[in-house]
Amino acid sequence: MNDFGEFALLVALATALYGCVSYVMAVRGNRVDLYLSADKTPLIVWACVAIASAALWRAFLTDDFSLQYVWAYSNREMGTFYKIASFWGGQKGSLLFWTLLLTTYMSVAYLQNRKKNVALMPAAMTVMLVIVVFFLFLLNFSTNPFERIPLPPEDGRGLNPLLQNYWMVIHPPTLYLGYVGFTVPFAFAIAALITKNLDDGWIRLTRKWTLMAWFFLCMGNLFGAAWAYVELGWGGYWAWDPVENAAFMPLLVATAYLHSVMIQEKKDMMKVWNMSLILLTFVMTIFGTFITRSGLIQSVHTFDEATLGYYFLGFLGVVIAICTGLILKRLPLLKSKNELDSFLSRESSFLFNNLLLLGIGFATFWGTIFPIISEAVRGVKITVGPPFYNQVNVPIGLALLALIGIGPLIAWRRATLSNLKKNFLKPLAAALLFGAALFAFVPLGGRADILAYVAFVLCVFVMGCIVSEFYKGAAARMDLHEESGLGALGALTWRNKRRYGGYVVHVGVVLIFAGIAGSQAYGTHDQKHLKKGESLQIRDYTVTYERLLAMEETSVKSRVIAQVGVYKNGRRIWTGQPEKEFYKGQNQPVSEVDVLSSWREDVYLILADFTEDEAATLKVYINPMVSWIWTGGWIIAFGTVVCMWPDRLEERRRVMRQKKQEAAFSPAQE
Amino acid sequence: MINKKAKFIAGSVLIVAAIAYLISAGISTTSQYFFTVDELLAQKASYTGAGLKVKGTVVDGSIVRDPNDYLKVNFSIVEKTSNLKVVYEGVTPDMFAGGREVVVEGTLTNDGVFHANTLLTSCPSKYEAEKEAGKTHPGTLPGYESKEPALETPKVSSKTTI
Repeated sequence: MNDFGEFALLVALATALYGCVSYVMAVRGNRVDLYLSADKTPLIVWACVAIASAALWRAFLTDDFSLQYVWAYSNREMGTFYKIASFWGGQKGSLLFWTLLLTTYMSVAYLQNRKKNVALMPAAMTVMLVIVVFFLFLLNFSTNPFERIPLPPEDGRGLNPLLQNYWMVIHPPTLYLGYVGFTVPFAFAIAALITKNLDDGWIRLTRKWTLMAWFFLCMGNLFGAAWAYVELGWGGYWAWDPVENAAFMPLLVATAYLHSVMIQEKKDMMKVWNMSLILLTFVMTIFGTFITRSGLIQSVHTFDEATLGYYFLGFLGVVIAICTGLILKRLPLLKSKNELDSFLSRESSFLFNNLLLLGIGFATFWGTIFPIISEAVRGVKITVGPPFYNQVNVPIGLALLALIGIGPLIAWRRATLSNLKKNFLKPLAAALLFGAALFAFVPLGGRADILAYVAFVLCVFVMGCIVSEFYKGAAARMDLHEESGLGALGALTWRNKRRYGGYVVHVGVVLIFAGIAGSQAYGTHDQKHLKKGESLQIRDYTVTYERLLAMEETSVKSRVIAQVGVYKNGRRIWTGQPEKEFYKGQNQPVSEVDVLSSWREDVYLILADFTEDEAATLKVYINPMVSWIWTGGWIIAFGTVVCMWPDRLEERRRVMRQKKQEAAFSPAQE
Repeated sequence: MINKKAKFIAGSVLIVAAIAYLISAGISTTSQYFFTVDELLAQKASYTGAGLKVKGTVVDGSIVRDPNDYLKVNFSIVEKTSNLKVVYEGVTPDMFAGGREVVVEGTLTNDGVFHANTLLTSCPSKYEAEKEAGKTHPGTLPGYESKEPALETPKVSSKTTI
């Protein structure tokens, strides 16, 4: 079975190579026979990769330790759940997993479009096959997951205990689904450039793909934050670690793209910009992979083998060169027919939103690679940490937050004073009133306090804008169709999924902003080495360390649990049980934190250390409003699903357009 | 028309310049030099007082905890030749022990003592089980048995060095 899997990878590579070459030759030489044969390759490649993946999963599930990869990431004692997840626990398997997703996407895109979009298909498929070839090349010749151990050992080494929790099962695949998803719009963008089909056809064609990839990437980032928060036990959810940044940057660029394509669809503007953004998004996903796999930048997530990084660097260089070249070559065809009229217009608010998103992206990028640059230029390694990112990105983020309110309401082309008044007077008044009321309750001493205050006021402003949009739409429907308030809201959203789904996403984003502001500005923590019965005081909580329990859970895992009483105003409100878990064969214990969460604040307990006399070091965090972030995440998920839901009206418009297109260039093969 | 275009270019340039300013100001106020112990001590004078990040190996037996305050720790880190005294107050990471590679963040005072506000054990990699397990190379036989000293059963007593 392992031989079979290895062989399948080789066949996949050969087929993919054949596919690239024959697509190109078929189009060049106008050869229908070659085209028909090339058109079979995407599905064959997918089948081969699927077989290889099935073989690797089989090896995990049957404890086949003759595979080095299985030996390194699994053992007999692990549950089936983790054996399945171990597939992407290390370098080699995660590359195979990536390839599996990529070929799956490719096949779906192929089945979806092969009849409808004949003009773009050969080029798009060629681009995707070339990317597949790159990954298959690595899998065959550099990081073969089917590498054998001559004398298979009795048992495997097991998955790193830090990874043995359910987040491991959902976080990496979600992130990969997002990363890989951008390949499809990228491929169609390149195809549009090559074939000179530079209307917005490729954008509409890949809109759902982009949204889906964005959705998964966004969820992946949030899952990562949640994992860090509940599992890694350092009290926070985001550390501006290079690998976190690597997942964050494509998200920012993709968000910019999602917004600016609307301008192209409605106004036929910003063509070069959109093209550049989608190409940059893809480049960022490859760059992220490069960071994770090169070990060039110190991070908590790095994989072991450094050489792989250079393949990715090379690939990155080639991709950037081709993208830039193609855009420059097609520049005359990408000319916009309209231009910006006024600063006070929706078009320009979108432009500024794009600049700000890219600004955050660039600041993050610059901070991430700064150690390398400074070493190359000045000979000294200079690093920047969370203070840098917070100092730079928070002001830009606040400006962006304001635009979330302004953008959707401001008039197209040119906003007049009366228009501004009509749209913004109420939200602005609400925000100012709230600001005045809040002024009495929050501290405004330091920079963080002031920034948080501004953030909250802006959040209210944006919510006001969104609510007024819903209200206006629903009120109009109530008059027109005699619907109830709630019915009108539902119908409104359902009939304009894209627009109102987008607003729902914005509500989620506002909650995340509020959660970040609250937890960053008003959080506090304390740590103390306590004997039994001693307490520490934090805010209005008394945290009492009561006792320590040690237990052997299984033959390989034992736990040390601290019992901690948490009192508020003299009343016991919670018994926390932070613990440390020890895994046999792993010399690093894993901290399991315990969190009492409410919408107001989280009480977050860490058992940091303990000594022979059963005294323990407790670290206590008070993290206000963190649960707002997770709630915001779910709202974003809901809003994105609304946006993605098939829209019949949209579909009809699309079919009409297709007909026109087919009349214009009748396909060659018939 | 030209006027309009110029206006927007000016506006965009303004935003870009503001962001560029934020970045450069951010770098100059928050950046830390990253040295190994040897590199730092070779040019000690020039970096006293600056934000520093230093990598080195904890000297065996150098870890001393304040008997009155468990969270106050003194230890030394070393590279090939140089030895740096570190004062730290806070929770030490699980992997902190003699012989471990650590990264400390803080400042160097005139008396040559490093005051750390952050202590990280190097490579706390999530995925890097391999390195921790003693670099068993895929090509060779996995010496599973001889891999690393298994942690003793963590009776409450077994862990900490005082």
